[in-house]
Amino acid sequence: MLFAVALGFVGWTWWGSLVPDTYSMDDMGVADFGGGEAVAHEAAHGGSAVGVDTLTGPPDGEPDVSETLVARAGKVEIGGDGARAVDGYTLNDTSPGPVIRAKQGDLVEVRLVNESVPDGVTLHWHGVDVPNAEDGVAGVTQDAVQEGEEHVYRFVAEDAGTYWYHSHQVSHEQVKRGLLGTLVIEPARGPSTDDVVAAVHTYSGQRTVQGMVGEQHVEAAAGSTRRVRVVNTNDGAVRTWVSGAPYRVVAVDGREINGPTPVEGKTVSVPAGGRVDLEVEIPDDGVRVSFGGGASLVLGPADADAPTDDEPKQRFDPLTYGSPADIGFDPDAADRSFEYRIGRRIGFLDGRPGFWWTINGSIFPDVPMYMVQEGDVVRMTISNDSGKVHPMHLHGHHAVVLSRDGVSASGSPWWVDSLDVRDGETFEVALVADNPGIWMDHCHNLIHASEGLVAHLSYVGVSTPFRVGGADHNHPE
Amino acid sequence: MRSTYRALAGLIAIGVVLQAATIALAWFGVMNDVDGGAVYDEGTEYNAGQSLHAILGMIVIPVLALLLMIVSFFTKVPGAVKWAGLVLLVVVVQVLLAFASFGAPILGTLHGANALVVMGAAGMASRRVQSSVGAPEQATAQPTAGAGAGA
Ligand SMILES: [Cu+2]
Repeated sequence: MLFAVALGFVGWTWWGSLVPDTYSMDDMGVADFGGGEAVAHEAAHGGSAVGVDTLTGPPDGEPDVSETLVARAGKVEIGGDGARAVDGYTLNDTSPGPVIRAKQGDLVEVRLVNESVPDGVTLHWHGVDVPNAEDGVAGVTQDAVQEGEEHVYRFVAEDAGTYWYHSHQVSHEQVKRGLLGTLVIEPARGPSTDDVVAAVHTYSGQRTVQGMVGEQHVEAAAGSTRRVRVVNTNDGAVRTWVSGAPYRVVAVDGREINGPTPVEGKTVSVPAGGRVDLEVEIPDDGVRVSFGGGASLVLGPADADAPTDDEPKQRFDPLTYGSPADIGFDPDAADRSFEYRIGRRIGFLDGRPGFWWTINGSIFPDVPMYMVQEGDVVRMTISNDSGKVHPMHLHGHHAVVLSRDGVSASGSPWWVDSLDVRDGETFEVALVADNPGIWMDHCHNLIHASEGLVAHLSYVGVSTPFRVGGADHNHPE
Repeated sequence: MRSTYRALAGLIAIGVVLQAATIALAWFGVMNDVDGGAVYDEGTEYNAGQSLHAILGMIVIPVLALLLMIVSFFTKVPGAVKWAGLVLLVVVVQVLLAFASFGAPILGTLHGANALVVMGAAGMASRRVQSSVGAPEQATAQPTAGAGAGA
């Protein structure tokens, strides 16, 4: 009898876990107002609601930077000794795709053409706080671009920094297999030092930097300085260390660090999706920046023979690095305070039994919809008790870290869009809701996202005309 | 029903042996790949040993244990339900230990040790029924010391 009741309960739970074939983000999740004013979750399509498709970048005007990216399925050629080509996706026949460079204030226009990616593609501008319609999330801010179709993204490059772009359609598969590239926004006054872009990606077990396995030499005169823009496009953290010279961490996630001091003998852990800019002065023998798996850059004169240090055990900690500065708002006067509690439990995800991620105790789709109004100061407490690290990524905004495990941040303002929350850790972050739209707030271990570790930050009065699933085949995760 | 019960319990015991074999295959596979220059990171897909271990451990063996539990109600052998319940319990513990070990690898030692408990319990369950196989069906209706655990 007891067994029959248990079986009935399991059946009912299974039924309740099923996700409809197609759904609108307007109807998703459990509205959470974070203790602030409870305003209607605008489910109405049309009416007074603002559609995300209207929240575009400047529709008119000559772009300062213009690029066409053609997505194709096929072989990805990997450079370097002993590398093998792998099946995957390319943009303009390469992976990573081209480095797009803009200056602060430039109008950027990118035309995405899908020539042969069967599932359709999009481009998400990771870390760039673009207007919502340019965010590139299939089923939320646009329809996936199917074979033979194209889509144009237009936005103003407002904040100088290191960014990247990648598909946000079937992203757990497309990003891993190469549908990505980097975007550098230089300061308007021009860069103070020359830079080197170092996108780190693992293609079928081959750790690469800028698409090359092994060691690469970058010519740099002794005595000059270089900014190495490390971009982690993997699903897991990349450990980076420097041999042969001290370094400064001059930016994290596209935001400058205030008062960076020299660091030596420490490994920098770059979260999945995160970026860290390292500045080094080139010694006579050159300097080596290592990314694990044998991938490294040697910066120096032609005959430079930089040392090969083992990865230092000690970790660089942004919580205490650099000097404090004004963040421009008061997190203690927050309008809303949210909780993003990550756990894991046995249950059903869309009918599949397993050990699934939970947000505030529930498995997707019963996850929170964090509701805000434009201008709100928002605090969020992100905690993780799930046994694994989660690189949490919020679209369209940067948040500043207030504390970790109850210890207040005491260094430079630490702005993030991709933050590793390790098992057992609790972070408090704060942000200003200044970019209306519907924004994903998800784990950038994209496998975890596809397993339901996805929530959204949604502005009251904004709705989306796009749907996940269904005839448009939108599958953002 | 008794032979089904016995077969299920036997399969669970064999499953544990296969799990020892697949996890060894998984680790030697990883070391061999690394020797060949491969990088293991969060994006790395499971190798053959890991995939088999996951499928056997998260689907096949738990399903066998559930079936054993269901079948046990119909065997009318004293202690069959109790032993099936114990097997199911230690299988659940085994899965939970596996997931807990991702965050605390030291628990992996208990996962390894508990595997032997699963095998032992399945073996005992099988033997329990075997000893009464051949005896007339009604014989099991006689009150026996182990008949306390009921449906
Ligand atoms: Cu995750």
